[in-house]
Amino acid sequence: MLRLLATIRKEWQLLLRDKMGLILLFVMPLVLITVMALIQDAPFKDYQEIKFDILTVDNDHGRLGRHVKEGLEAGGQFNIIDSLDGKPITAEHAKELVNEGKYKISIIVPAGATAAIVSNANRIVNDISHRMGMTVSLPVKKGGDSLNVIIYFDPAAKKAFKGAIHQALDNFLTQVETEMLLDRIRGQLHNKDVPEAGTDTLPIRLQAVGLQEHSTGSSKEIDVISNSVQHNVPAWSIFAMFFIVIPIAGNMIREREDGSLLRMKLIPGSYLAILAGKMLFFVGICVLQFYLMMLVGIYLMPLLDLPQLVMGHHHGATILVASGIGLAATAYGILIGTLFKTPNQALNFGAISIVILSAIGGIWIPLEVMPAKMQVLGHLSPLSWGLDAINDIYLRNGDIDYVWKNVLRLILTGLAMLAIAGWVEKRRMN
Amino acid sequence: MSGISVTELFKTYKGSDEPTLKGLSFQFPEGKIAGLLGPNGAGKTTTISILCGLVRGDSGEVVIHGLKQEAAHREAIKHIIGIVPQQIALYPQLSAVENLTYFGNLYGFKGKALQQKIMHYLEIFGLEKSAHKEIHKYSGGMKRRANIIAAILHDPQLLILDEPTAGVDVQSRGMILQFLRDYNSRGASILYTSHLLEEAQSLCEDVVIMDEGKMIVQGNPLKLIEQHPACQNLEDVFLHFTGYALRD
Repeated sequence: MLRLLATIRKEWQLLLRDKMGLILLFVMPLVLITVMALIQDAPFKDYQEIKFDILTVDNDHGRLGRHVKEGLEAGGQFNIIDSLDGKPITAEHAKELVNEGKYKISIIVPAGATAAIVSNANRIVNDISHRMGMTVSLPVKKGGDSLNVIIYFDPAAKKAFKGAIHQALDNFLTQVETEMLLDRIRGQLHNKDVPEAGTDTLPIRLQAVGLQEHSTGSSKEIDVISNSVQHNVPAWSIFAMFFIVIPIAGNMIREREDGSLLRMKLIPGSYLAILAGKMLFFVGICVLQFYLMMLVGIYLMPLLDLPQLVMGHHHGATILVASGIGLAATAYGILIGTLFKTPNQALNFGAISIVILSAIGGIWIPLEVMPAKMQVLGHLSPLSWGLDAINDIYLRNGDIDYVWKNVLRLILTGLAMLAIAGWVEKRRMN
Repeated sequence: MSGISVTELFKTYKGSDEPTLKGLSFQFPEGKIAGLLGPNGAGKTTTISILCGLVRGDSGEVVIHGLKQEAAHREAIKHIIGIVPQQIALYPQLSAVENLTYFGNLYGFKGKALQQKIMHYLEIFGLEKSAHKEIHKYSGGMKRRANIIAAILHDPQLLILDEPTAGVDVQSRGMILQFLRDYNSRGASILYTSHLLEEAQSLCEDVVIMDEGKMIVQGNPLKLIEQHPACQNLEDVFLHFTGYALRD
């Protein structure tokens, strides 16, 4: 026990003297998660959360044009711009501005669009009335050429963005057309010789069955969505925790170079106790790093107009996961410190390997949006096990039952790396 | 026998065609100051590493104070010996007291007794005023002295030193050599390697000159000089046996 405690104290003293190491372990990760959460905030937002400027050219000057503008504005998703410098925008000008990338979207409502919709609605009502034996004849435009509302997109717009806007506008147009049709049907019912009271007390509903989202949380309900903070704070915290590989590997190589490792091996007693002390210390540092970064997510992010981090209800499971990640990261540092002979080699390999493991492990972008083969590969990364476990707790309100498999994977991987390091060291001695 | 006994020791490192030790044999009695001398590449450091149990010989036998150097006795031998490696095997960012406290703790010492022991040795080695200074701020001589203290915290019966006076000033060297004589006078054995043959001649009661992994000659330095009338000192004897050819 004395060897273990003495080693923890020695590592603490060494860390306190290493100002750059302290910055690397505690300051850089905080800066990293803040920057990553800020720059990835926009891509993580749903399209419903983002307000777009939309150039609107109303050549119809009728009910449809007015409905389109009012409807788009009412949705809260678009800023309607129909004039620039006090002059109405023309279709050509709108096309030009979107092509130049100054605006993302433009909508052109063609002249006669309202007339075409009214005519179409009248035609349907006439047909229905005729089938019901009623003698109604609403005016119908001759020559039934259909008109299109034209949309221009910025050529650089992503396919998913275009799809979402298309769908939103299409839904809106359908709604306007349906409303017009229902207006006419309602009008005809008014004209029919039925008592007045009966018609308005039974309004026609556009949607009989709606959609409602419920949380899948098992016990205490939490309503957390995967936003920039919920993804980036845990993800980049895990990435930063793995960067402990650099100081650990450097520390081990220095101990070998300056002979203190030799001295430790010449002292009677188990070297395992010394190694255990080193591991406990660095796992503790990892857990401390983790919670400092969570505090940034909870208290600093809201000050930067970002959502607040929600940590779930199962704090015991969170500590377990953080310790598991710390163990895997520390063991990886010890393995690299054992395998490489110079700090330069260890630093380069360590840093690059963590970047690769984090990229395939879903730290940069969620695994779900990666190609299928990359997802299979990604699930082999210890960083993805850590992130999955944290997401289980934070987003799915999971407890230890949810995370134990990933924690076990992290621990077993850590132990395997330590065993390899031990075998290499033994071979080196022999 | 008590002391150090090395018999027919062979060692070839992996990846090397040439054996480093080729049947090395020598004996040093207990309680003496002995020197292991040889040109670069003679196998001195490998021999010391095998004596300490850090490296295993391919064949041959090593016995230290009656204990055979093998797995069963490795821990017991670690209690007997203290090693002063060629490198300054201390943490440069920690002070002398912090380093010595850590290594003392690893030996199982703690508390006031350990601190008293550390301060006692720091005074002996003239480091008491720099006790709390970080090692990287020490001069070469101060580092060497602190390096020796770390090896004697457990009062070893056999002290092995690998070039303990390399790169130190005359004053530090004198201090170190005097300490070794005093330590030996308390009954401890000392085995040391050095390229400073004048120093070895004045300090050692017995020397082994080895070259190319084998023992060339062993004896008291003064007797060896007497036995070779053409030699005025130990350096002449050394050159007589090892030649003038440069070594890798």
